[in-house]
Amino acid sequence: MFKLDRKLLTIASTAAALAIITAGCMGGSASTSTGNTTEKDGKATIDGGSTYPVVNDKTGPYDVNPQVAADAPKIFNGRVPTANELAAWNKDVMPDGTGLPEGSGSVEEGEEIYESKCVSCHGDFGSGGGGYPSLSKGNAYELQKTLTNNRWKDPEADGPVRVFGSYWPQVSTLWWYIRDGMPHPKSKTLTDDEVYALVAYILNINEFEINGVEVDDEYVLDRKKFLEVIMPNVNGFEPNIDGPNALNNVRAYYANPKNFGAIKVNPSDRCMTNCQDKSAKIVHIKNGGIKDFLPPMSDKRDLPKEKVVLDVKAVYTDNCAMCHGNGVGPAFANPSEWTPYTSKGMDKVYASAIHGTDGGMPPKGGSTLSDADFKSVVDYLISGK
Amino acid sequence: MDNKKSNQEIDRRDFFKKAAMSVTALAGTSLISSNARADDPAIMHHVPWGQVWGDPVTKNRYGLPSKYEHNVVRRNTKLLASGNFRASIAVTPIQESMGIITPNGLFFSRSHGGVAHVDPHEYRLMIHGLVEKPIVLTLEQLKKYPSVTRTHFIECPANGGQEWRGPQFNSVQFAKGFMSCAEWTGVYLKTILADLGLKPEAQWMLAEGSDNSEMGRTIPIDKVLDDAMIVWGQNGEALRPEQGYPVRILLPGWEGNLCVKWLKRLEFATEPWYCKEETSKYTALKPTGKAIQHFYANEVNSTVTSPSPEIDWTNVKEGDLIEIEGLAWSGMGTITGVDLSFDGGENYTEAKLKGLVLPKSWTRWSYIYKIPKNFQINGKQLLLTSRAMDDAGYIQPTIDQEVSVMGVESVYHRNAVETWEVNAKGEVNHVQIRS
Repeated sequence: MFKLDRKLLTIASTAAALAIITAGCMGGSASTSTGNTTEKDGKATIDGGSTYPVVNDKTGPYDVNPQVAADAPKIFNGRVPTANELAAWNKDVMPDGTGLPEGSGSVEEGEEIYESKCVSCHGDFGSGGGGYPSLSKGNAYELQKTLTNNRWKDPEADGPVRVFGSYWPQVSTLWWYIRDGMPHPKSKTLTDDEVYALVAYILNINEFEINGVEVDDEYVLDRKKFLEVIMPNVNGFEPNIDGPNALNNVRAYYANPKNFGAIKVNPSDRCMTNCQDKSAKIVHIKNGGIKDFLPPMSDKRDLPKEKVVLDVKAVYTDNCAMCHGNGVGPAFANPSEWTPYTSKGMDKVYASAIHGTDGGMPPKGGSTLSDADFKSVVDYLISGK
Repeated sequence: MDNKKSNQEIDRRDFFKKAAMSVTALAGTSLISSNARADDPAIMHHVPWGQVWGDPVTKNRYGLPSKYEHNVVRRNTKLLASGNFRASIAVTPIQESMGIITPNGLFFSRSHGGVAHVDPHEYRLMIHGLVEKPIVLTLEQLKKYPSVTRTHFIECPANGGQEWRGPQFNSVQFAKGFMSCAEWTGVYLKTILADLGLKPEAQWMLAEGSDNSEMGRTIPIDKVLDDAMIVWGQNGEALRPEQGYPVRILLPGWEGNLCVKWLKRLEFATEPWYCKEETSKYTALKPTGKAIQHFYANEVNSTVTSPSPEIDWTNVKEGDLIEIEGLAWSGMGTITGVDLSFDGGENYTEAKLKGLVLPKSWTRWSYIYKIPKNFQINGKQLLLTSRAMDDAGYIQPTIDQEVSVMGVESVYHRNAVETWEVNAKGEVNHVQIRS
């Protein structure tokens, strides 16, 4: 018996050790003190950061219930949507035209709608203002060339112009956002034709060409022409997110810190002395900086200045009713019970109320109101008004 | 009572007069053995709140902060005020933050069409596209999935983004407060998907909100199947409307904008969507003229939070031992260390992490410091600079290092070290050390 037990024990501990090793392998290279790895299934993480595989029922510092992963494939708490429900919500518009309905609208119609529904925020000819985005700054093709402007060496230089025409990579974004998000205070109220008209107008003020044809004041936009729009800055973005290899592109991009201004270092190699560039100096805030903070900045622990509006009914409920509404002391709004006191003069009644009585009336009923405010409560208690 | 109060006021005046006299009289005498100092009326008298009833427990069914704390609030500025404060941001007073949790009422608030108020009875979440079995869930059904609770910060990637070309905000609330940290409760998206049968060709997921801007973003499948959560709980209660009540998506460590609020719909597809907020905004323009799109993670970052321009060292004197405190955070992992410099990043010494150190979470760091004369070292004013590292191997760059790659027009994802200058009066000013 003893021998058998021992043998079982050995088998059990070997199995346990194997389980730990296997779990470790399954979790990738999760051998650091934080339990992280920057690779998953042999691929770099999508953002260049850490992930925390579940090892021994833990992800990083958190315990997990292993039953969840095991049972999740059996949990379906909702229902399958109907075809109409799917159609009602699945209305996003993609660059290839998925989700884009048929329709048409002219620049002229677009200008009319713009003048009535858009101009108050986006300004004349999409010039912007008041914190609202500009929709155009002029010729999109010319302005796209400003995207290499960078004010790091000359602060007085012109910056890059990032408006719809010069910057956005896809025109589908504009159509989709106007239909679902505009006009800002009353969104989802435009018809598809109105959206086409507004898009036509915005292409017009950005001086677009479609298939070699200028979007002039007479232009009429429809679905087919819309899908021929090529944005000037279509190739202005990285990493490449289109096509079947998109995720590998993204993984590769963020695997290289140089792509996005990050620095990786072995902690023991980091600079601890004489680290700054010799040319670096102290730069202070210029002209006082931005300080229109709302509310104004303060760390004071004073009482707020707000005027507190006295709610006599609420004070009665919180502070008086437990006695005056329960047969202890003269009753609420009951003249015959109050006359013995009020006949001696209201000053005496107020004084008793404010300072309390030996009969059990707490000062001000336990409230922290001013004397004047508490007198109003007393008046309400006696008169009900 | 009025009588008592006026007595106290007299006593208080008396106290300060006596105290001033004793300082003169006691110069050179041990402060501890002194019996000659005036007594503090805050100790010698019954305090007003100690002699009257306090509020009944029936008051404030949902509790409120002390009215004395009324200045600890989210703040905004007209610079970031589009849409009559509907497409706008109000930022967290991190100079007053304690520990690593932001109370729900102070959690920074950013929306693109105003804060929506969703009726939970009419709330529906639809998941469809490249799945074998699409699904519609009510709020009640969603909350029946097995939940997880995780502490993560959410940061607007424009945190610090107004200061690429130089410091502009003499305030840590505005320089670094476009972020907050909370304990979130919800379900891993992979738990719901386990039964829906994600098709192998799916590369992207659209997350769409139900607010008036129908805010949407494209999310890669890697994150969906890693730690993406659908959350309904924030610090032990329902999400606040500002955070997407009743449901938002949480992508730990990633741009706040990707964590779509008032979540309505998730769709899976082979190609990305090019939503408005992932191309027109939330893209980082480099000097090459190319802009980084799909810039997901907020990189390793840190700042001193105490002292700050808001709560400075004007009441601190030479020789005092004082705790310098700050926050460190990384959307790419767990904070592994923070270095502190007293000369603007020329030389560093190791600060100490304290409290819980969690992945993709605010992490507190601390350093006990003896105040030098006139807040100067070697004749130069103190320049407090912190520098954090994470377990993915990243370290915060200097401003020059970051700008050399990103230029100054990026707007988003600025994580170079921050510097706070202490002048001879103990006032704290936001500065930058750069070429």
